[in-house]
Amino acid sequence: MSASRALNLPRPARVRAGSEGAPGMVDGRAVESVRESWLVEDRWWTDEPLRRRYWEVVDVRGRNLVVFHDLRSGGWFIQAA
Amino acid sequence: MVVCVYLPRFELVIAAGGPEALAGRALAIAPLPGGESRVGGVSGAAEAFGVQAGMALGEALARCPELGLVAADPLGVARAWEAVARALEGIGAALELDRPGLAYFEADGLRGLYGGEEGVIAAAREAVRAAGRASIGVGRAARVGAGPTRFCALAAALDAGSRRAVIVDGKGARRYLASQPVELLCFRSETAALVEPLRRLGVRTLGELRELSPGRPDAVADRFGEAGVLAHRLAGGADTPLSTRRVEDRLEVSLELGEPGSGQALERVLGVLVDRLLARPERRGRTLRAASLSARLVEGGTWQERVVFRQALSDSRRMRLALSLRLALLPAPAEGLRLAVERFGPPDGEQGTLLRSARTARLASLREAVSQVRTVAGPEAALRALCVDPDSRVPERRVVFTPFPG
Repeated sequence: MSASRALNLPRPARVRAGSEGAPGMVDGRAVESVRESWLVEDRWWTDEPLRRRYWEVVDVRGRNLVVFHDLRSGGWFIQAA
Repeated sequence: MVVCVYLPRFELVIAAGGPEALAGRALAIAPLPGGESRVGGVSGAAEAFGVQAGMALGEALARCPELGLVAADPLGVARAWEAVARALEGIGAALELDRPGLAYFEADGLRGLYGGEEGVIAAAREAVRAAGRASIGVGRAARVGAGPTRFCALAAALDAGSRRAVIVDGKGARRYLASQPVELLCFRSETAALVEPLRRLGVRTLGELRELSPGRPDAVADRFGEAGVLAHRLAGGADTPLSTRRVEDRLEVSLELGEPGSGQALERVLGVLVDRLLARPERRGRTLRAASLSARLVEGGTWQERVVFRQALSDSRRMRLALSLRLALLPAPAEGLRLAVERFGPPDGEQGTLLRSARTARLASLREAVSQVRTVAGPEAALRALCVDPDSRVPERRVVFTPFPG
């Protein structure tokens, strides 16, 4: 039987960021408001440090979404926080 | 490193009686009596006429009037494939069996035994040939490939010849896969349906599929959903870990009928087989979790059904009841019947307590359910979410999936 595997892994998202780095569009839908933003830096003592800027936003449909910008790879991801 | 062992047209070779029977002949596996009228596996000569596996019989005959039909032999296929699998397990390989003729195993743990990947591949090839010699020479055409993932190893095996294996190293895997045709996705049930629409879009290779949305599978996901994301990942050299099978003792009984039988006559024969199977000393008091019932048909060919019991049992009457329902599915009268154990359960000496609490009963039911689900859908079918670091700032570290204890 296989070993444990992580739940709630980030999924790639299509995000168009505004001038200040905040997401303006997520997966083709405009962002209505940004509720919160926070930075996560972890595992800086390893070869694979983790640096993410999280954004909690509300899209035009009223859905609450949490996306993050991977500051190392430059990609955007969606994840339930 | 994953090793793939591929035996092309395995089911047709067995049904036709050996690889020589296919040489230069347009052959296809006939539809089962009473089943959907579509041909099974086809020979290379039949393919040259445009006949494909799964094609309607009428269309296949229209494309190739001299197409020869051979009766399907699922019993012979299961036996020959089991012999190949046992031979591979004999060299120490933990196998994932995809379909008859296609198996994978991890070579990493065997390198020390056989002196590297080439040694492991040579041992696997020899094991398959030896198993093939014991039946009808199916092992001679075995193709072996190795790569960092299951999908890459499959591509390598399809590229390999019967005498030369292809090994793709981890660094070159993406480039190697990029040049492979999208038809490779047909080998995965989840992605097989994508091949036709991809062809229509002009996507010919896995590299072109990757280029639809380089680095990110969004565009493919929008058009093809989850299957598209998986195809994109496979094309990029990613794949899920192997799900290997558990090695079980082989135990089977069979009975030849004097004359073709069906209905009540077969039920009586089944009763005898069940009693004989339960009386075998090799069972060592264990219950039966799953069994396979097969028959040799009067009209030619064979028939096979897998039965997973609702509970692991060793009660003759209940087994007979569960199995006799499957006899009704027999497409034609049978000349012989065979019953084999597919999976054993715990020993039947376990007895319940006189006063069982509701909680204990619930736990026992849950264990039983988990066991049944795993028997049908594999060892990863029942998992539980376990909080390992609920306060972590990184969401994916908070909860993990682990096997459900049962």
